[in-house]
Parts: sequence; C-alpha cells; structure tokens
Amino acid sequence: MARRHLETACLLGPALVVLALLFVVPLGRLFSLAFTDPAGPFATFGVLADSAVYRQVMWNTFVVAVMVTALCVLLAWPVAYVLSRLEGVWFGLALYGVLFPFWISVLVRTFSWMLLLERNGPINRLLMATGITEAPLALLFNNVGVLVGMIHVLLPYMILPLYGAMVRIDRRLLLASDGLGAGLIDTFRRIYLPLCLPGLAGGATFVFLLSLGFFITPALLGGSNAITLSMLIASFVNDRLAWSLAAAGSLALLAIVLVLMALTARLLPIERGLFAR
Amino acid sequence: MNRLPLVLRISANAGASLVLAFLVLPILAVVPASFNKASFIYLPPRAWSGVWYERFLADPEWRTSLVNSVEVATLATIIAVALGTLAAIGLRRIDGRWRTLVTGLFLAPMIVPVIVTAVALYRSALDVGLSGTILGMSLGHAILALPFVVINVGIALRAVDDNWLRAAAGLGAGPWRIFRTVTLPNITPGIVGGAIFAFITSFDEVIIAVFMAGYASKTLPVKIWESIRLEFTPVIAVAATVMIALAIVLFALAQIFSRKTGSPSR
Amino acid sequence: MTPIQSGQSLRLAGVSKTYGGFRALEPTDLDVKAGEFLTLLGPSGSGKTTLLNLTAGYVEPTAGEIRIGARDVTHMPARHRNIGMVFQNYALFPHMSVGENVAYGLSVRRLPKPEIARRVGEILALMRLDGFADRPVQQLSGGQQQRVALARALVIEPDVLLMDEPLGALDKQLRRSVQLELRRLHQKLGRTTIYVTHDQEEALVLSDRIAVMDGGRIQQLGTVDDLYDRPLNAFVAGFIGESNLLPVRVLSTSGGQASVDVEAFRRTIAVDAAPGTATGEPARLLIRPEHIELGLGGDGVAAEIVEVIYLGELTQLTLRLDGGETLAARQITDRTLRAGARVHVSWKPGHARAVPHSPSKPTKTEKADA
Repeated sequence: MARRHLETACLLGPALVVLALLFVVPLGRLFSLAFTDPAGPFATFGVLADSAVYRQVMWNTFVVAVMVTALCVLLAWPVAYVLSRLEGVWFGLALYGVLFPFWISVLVRTFSWMLLLERNGPINRLLMATGITEAPLALLFNNVGVLVGMIHVLLPYMILPLYGAMVRIDRRLLLASDGLGAGLIDTFRRIYLPLCLPGLAGGATFVFLLSLGFFITPALLGGSNAITLSMLIASFVNDRLAWSLAAAGSLALLAIVLVLMALTARLLPIERGLFAR
Repeated sequence: MNRLPLVLRISANAGASLVLAFLVLPILAVVPASFNKASFIYLPPRAWSGVWYERFLADPEWRTSLVNSVEVATLATIIAVALGTLAAIGLRRIDGRWRTLVTGLFLAPMIVPVIVTAVALYRSALDVGLSGTILGMSLGHAILALPFVVINVGIALRAVDDNWLRAAAGLGAGPWRIFRTVTLPNITPGIVGGAIFAFITSFDEVIIAVFMAGYASKTLPVKIWESIRLEFTPVIAVAATVMIALAIVLFALAQIFSRKTGSPSR
Repeated sequence: MTPIQSGQSLRLAGVSKTYGGFRALEPTDLDVKAGEFLTLLGPSGSGKTTLLNLTAGYVEPTAGEIRIGARDVTHMPARHRNIGMVFQNYALFPHMSVGENVAYGLSVRRLPKPEIARRVGEILALMRLDGFADRPVQQLSGGQQQRVALARALVIEPDVLLMDEPLGALDKQLRRSVQLELRRLHQKLGRTTIYVTHDQEEALVLSDRIAVMDGGRIQQLGTVDDLYDRPLNAFVAGFIGESNLLPVRVLSTSGGQASVDVEAFRRTIAVDAAPGTATGEPARLLIRPEHIELGLGGDGVAAEIVEVIYLGELTQLTLRLDGGETLAARQITDRTLRAGARVHVSWKPGHARAVPHSPSKPTKTEKADA
C-alpha cells in the first residue's frame, strides 16, 4: 500500500510542485503586496473604494458583465434549441459554427471587430447606404463595441451548456405534458424551462465570471471611454507602477469571482464537473 | 413542443442562422483585409494584392515574433502535456475529499482571471529574472494549458477499465509496463488532443505574453497587440490571417483525432 | 479419466479484509487442494469477490496469511503470484488482437518469440479459436471473448486459475454449453481453480467443492452432497436447492439428534440435527420438497392441497397445514392429486433435519463485491 501511495505522489507531485511555484506562490506574493501600503494594511482598499473614478470603473465592469450575460442568454436560446433538433450534416455544420470561434484567437477576433465597427468601416457604410442612419455611428471605443466583441467571444460558452441540457430532455415528457392538456406556454414554463435550467445557470455563471475578468476585448474596443477593472489593474502595473493598488484590484476581482462561484454552486443546479465518476 | 407552431419554428431557425452567421462571418473579415493594396485597411478592398504578405515575411520583427510564438507554444505544450498526463493518471488513484481538492487546484488556472495570473506571474518573473524570456512565457502558458491537458487525458482515462490494469498485473506486468502497453495506447488520442489544445492556448495567448515579453521575445500576438495600438496596417491582417490558418489546421487535426478516439467503442 | 494435476495448492489462514469500518471478509481459513475446482457461491456482498481479489493479490489482507503451494504470497503483488484471472467483463485489451491479448503474459515473461507463437497457437487451438489470432477482440461475440479471456489466463500456466463470474455476461443458453466446456477443460488440464458465482446451478455443475458465503464469511465448505444433504445452517439449506424451513424450538440435543417442538405441526419430533443446533438457540426444521410424502391416512401431519402445478414428470404442490403455514412438495406426477384434497404429510427418518438459524450478517454496502 505504501508503495502505491508513493507512486501516486510521483504522478501528482510534479504538476503540484510546478503549480505551486508558478501559480500559487506568485498569486500569494502579489496579494501580499496589497497590504504593504505605508498608510496601513488596508489603505489600498480604501483608495480603491473612495475614489469616484475607481468606483465608476467597477460599476462599468459590473454593468458590462450583466449586459453581456443577459444578451448571451437571449442569443444562445435559438441556436441551442435548433442544435438540439438538428441531425446529420446540418447538425455537424451548426456545431462547427459554434465550436470554430473557440479556436480563433480572441485578439484576432477583436481585431476583426475593430475593422468592421470602424467609423468608415463596412457596417457604418452599410447603415448609411440603406438610409438607417445619416451620419456614421460611434460603434468603437465605447460600451457598444465592448458588448459586441465580448458577446462574440463568450456566446459559445452559453450555447454549449444550454444545448447540453436541451438535448438530454426526453421528448416524451413534452408529449406527455401535451397529452395531459397543457398548452405550449404551460409546457414550456413548467417542463421545458425547468429542465433547461441547469445548463442555462451553468452557462450564464461561466459567461458572467469570464466577462468580469475580460481584458483584451474591452481594452481594444472600449479604450479609455469604457474602462473595466482588468484594464485598471493593467494600468496600475504598466503606467503607474502602483503594485499595491494592482494587487488590491486583483485580489478584489478574484474574491468577487470566487464568491459568485461559491454562491451559484450552492444556489443553482449547475452541472457537476468533468471529474464526476 | 414536438409540433412547435410553424411561425415559432421558422423564427427559431432564422434566429439560429443569424446568430451563427454573427459567430463565424466577422472572424473572416481579416482575410480580405490582408489582401488590401492600399497602405490602410479598407473593407472590402478596392484593389487586391499580396504585397502585405511579402512585407510580413520580409520584416524581421514579424518573422521573429512568429518564430518566438512557435518556440513558446512548443515548450509550453511539452511542459503541460508531461505534467498534465501524469497528474490526470494520479488523480484517478485518489478519492473523495483529496480528489476534489487536487482537481480544483489543477483547474484553478482556468478560473482565476488571466489578468490576475498575468500580473502575479509578471511580478515574480521580475524578481527571479525570468521576465522578458521565452522560458518565462512558456512556463506561464504551461500553467494556463495544464487544465486542458488534465481534462482531456482525464476523459480518455475514463474509458480505461481498471480490470485491464488488473488483468495485466495478473499476467505478470509491472506498473511501468502496464502503463506503456495498456494505459498509454488507450489514452494517446486524449494526450494528443490535450497537446493540440495546449499549443493553441499558448499560441493565441496575449495577456501573459504582453506582460512578460521583452524587446527580443515578443510573440506574434504581442506584436499584433502593439501594432494595433500604433496604426491599422494590412500587415496586422496578414498576421491575423496566419493565426487563423494555424488555428484551422489544428482544429482539423483535433477533429481527426477525436474521431479516432470514438472508434474503439464496444 | 484421471485428471492431470498441474496446479498448486492454495491455503488461506485467518485472512480478513476491512475497508474503513466495514468488514468485507471475516477471518477466514480455506484449503484448496492442487487440481481442485472450488466454487465460491453466495449473494452479492457476501465477500466472495473480496476473497478472490485477496487471492489474486489485487487487495492486501488486513490480517492473515496466504500461501500458493509452498510460497507465502500474503504481501506479494499480483504480478509475481503466477495466477490466471478471468474477469466478468473479460477485460480484454481493446487495442490488441486476439493473439496479442493471449501472448501478453508470455511476452511479459520474456519468452522467445517462437515459443510464444507456439504456445499461443496451442492454447487457441484448445479453445477452438484457431484462425482468430489476428482478429480485433471487439469483433468477437461474447462467447468468443470469454474463450479468449480464458486462453489468456491459461497460457501462462498459472498455479491457480481464478474466475470472477466469467459467464455472467452470457445468455442462458450459451452459459449452459460453456459450463460443460469449462468442466471438460478442467478435467483435461487439472488446474487448481477458484470460481466465483452467485448461480447455484453453475456451482453444482462445475465444482469439486463449494464454499457457500454470506455476510463476509464461509458458511459451509463441502461437496455438493454435503451441502445438500447435511447443511450446517438455515442459510446454506435455503441457498442450495429448494427447501421448507419451519421455525422450531429445540428441547434437547444428543449425539447428532435433537428433540424439537414444531409449532406448525403442533407436535414434538425427534430428528437429525446439524452440529451447532442447541437448546434455546433459534433453529429451523429443514425438509426438502422432494422428501415430502403424501398419504391419505396414517399418523402424518394433516394438510390441504392448495395448488397443483404439473411439470411433466414431476408435480409441484403447495400444501397448507392446519396452523396456516405452507409447505412446498414435489411428487412423481399423479393425476389424482387435486387442489382442495386433504392429505397427510410424512417423511422418512433422516429426511428431516434441524439446523441452527444463524441469521446472516447484514452487509452495509455492495463494496465487498464491487
């Protein structure tokens, strides 16, 4: 038995050591910087909380995350439903449509949107040519651009779990509800929706948490008009060398993410992970 | 719901088609952009040319960044695959609380916002002199890629029956031989899938790379990131197209391998 | 035909296994003679698979000693024990052909290639699998896979052959013919074999001796005759064959006989008693259905026939005693027996037997058998 434990330790050991040295320790060292301000151990958090600018940044981060999540839920619905009904070639095609963006760099996709949303870009020209608008709209360097870009990146994270939930619904349940005299709306509200809920909740949580920490897309599409927490952290490090503020911001971001994860894991029937036996 | 009214069915299909178009088509906009003749990007191009591809290949900075990216991604993949495969096998041998805890730790790099990981790594890299090195970036990327390998190999391992291992032991094989002759052949597709995922994760990664890159160790995404902030030249679109092409190749490879995994079903 | 003896003896002394707080196997002694075919028979969770895994070396005992021949293998890993194991799901390596599966144990032993090829060829021929060497194992039927698993275990000439419900995945028809084939094979090869099953018919067809297990212990070890005619307790009596088991009060015992008060009969009778039957301890009266004799008069116990099922040569009857208890009886078919008839039930001396009740220990989980 002792030998078996030794083998297991040898298998897990290398990854655990590397993870500790390159992940846990650096995070710990960074977070410890948050408490090193000469004005007192919690002074940096005070600075973050008191400044109207920083509060605005946090609020904006939150608003963007909520909007991205809400819009992703809305847009994911028809795709997940159609995916769950399709078969054969069409199914494969639609599934690749969802999976393909996963494989393309977020940077490349964001760059693509910069080209499309530009003041003189194809979308503005199309809008003007069709007479929807007189002058070009400001689609870039504000929250509109950020929303479009982030939804584009995060939508598959919403579609896949929702599809997973829908495809597992036994169609006979719907027929049974039908047979018991329930109308379309009743069947949806009382049978279909509750059964979709685990996937919906899992996807929405994932999208929300990812949006909170998003960096590339808001940095490029939002610019200085739509600053998010992650951009603030980067600017503390790069522009101001304010490590203790960066550390406090990072700690706050991670704490929010972890608290939300713990809450949703407790409150919502999210799918248990990949490692369930 | 089996007989959704026609109106709803049509609108569901139309909605799904529009959303799918929204997901796929914008990505492809960089491809025509890279064939602009002008020195600025105009979509669709008024005149076509491959001149920016020549520029991309002729410019030592772009060329170096591509080479750096390949180096970083290769190194990160090797590290992540080696550690992740062992870890996934080890995970199967522990139970209960420990298993949950260790699994959580292995997946943590997926959960912690990358900006936080990047800043933390950058700070420590500055202290130990790894900042600005290829190795520093590779190690950072290996951490991000590790969960993908652990997951992929973990899934492949679930198809390995404990009784195969017992049978091999009963026939006289030692642990290493059992691993080599029974476990490994059955999880190879999972390892390859994890490796492809690890490679693309590193190759595409921007945030850690932006923090860690030195003047001589910029990766392709870092070079793109910096160029976007200077000016929109079609060279960026060329670089982006190169990244898309690589992603498509790797995606196709992964599909082929996942199909192979599917075949030995009983 | 005299069986060739080509296995080793197996001895377990005081072997037990505890998982956490759960005792999967109580301290157990077991002696298996070289060349013997011994079956571990019991319901799931009875400890039979634990016993098998301990023997194979997949599980280390909490206490006790295990010997194969003269070797102490108690703490020896499975790979050094020279055992052959056949799993319920066969556990064939899916990425190897039939030939590669069978050759595995030989190539692990670093035998020269020509010898491996010769021995694989021989065993495949013996198992009627000639020409299958290059087939992928996944293309085989269940019965063929079972034979490959057996060939793989036998080709290494194991000291002990272990089989864990090897016919469990086969359909009933096939199971019957494979049973006969296994029997023939054992007679030919004479390998010491430990066979785990929960199917008593299978145990009866195959075994030299059977160990009936329940609640993590061997309840009785013996030949089929021992178990059937002289069960040690009510569990064994109920598990092997069909039986009527009536609650009794033991009044006295002496020299293999007991005087018991049978409430269902409302009388006290003298019967053979299993060792362990004791005054004041709960006990049962065992009468096999085929040993019940029916008469129209005499001093038998009065009963009414409530159900008659013709099974061809035999007829199965359900009798209701005046106290309300029912008895199962089996008779040579006699068309005059009708439901509603009054009869008198009797039995030959020696066909009724008092056995201790010995409630089997409830097992907490299925872990023992998993």
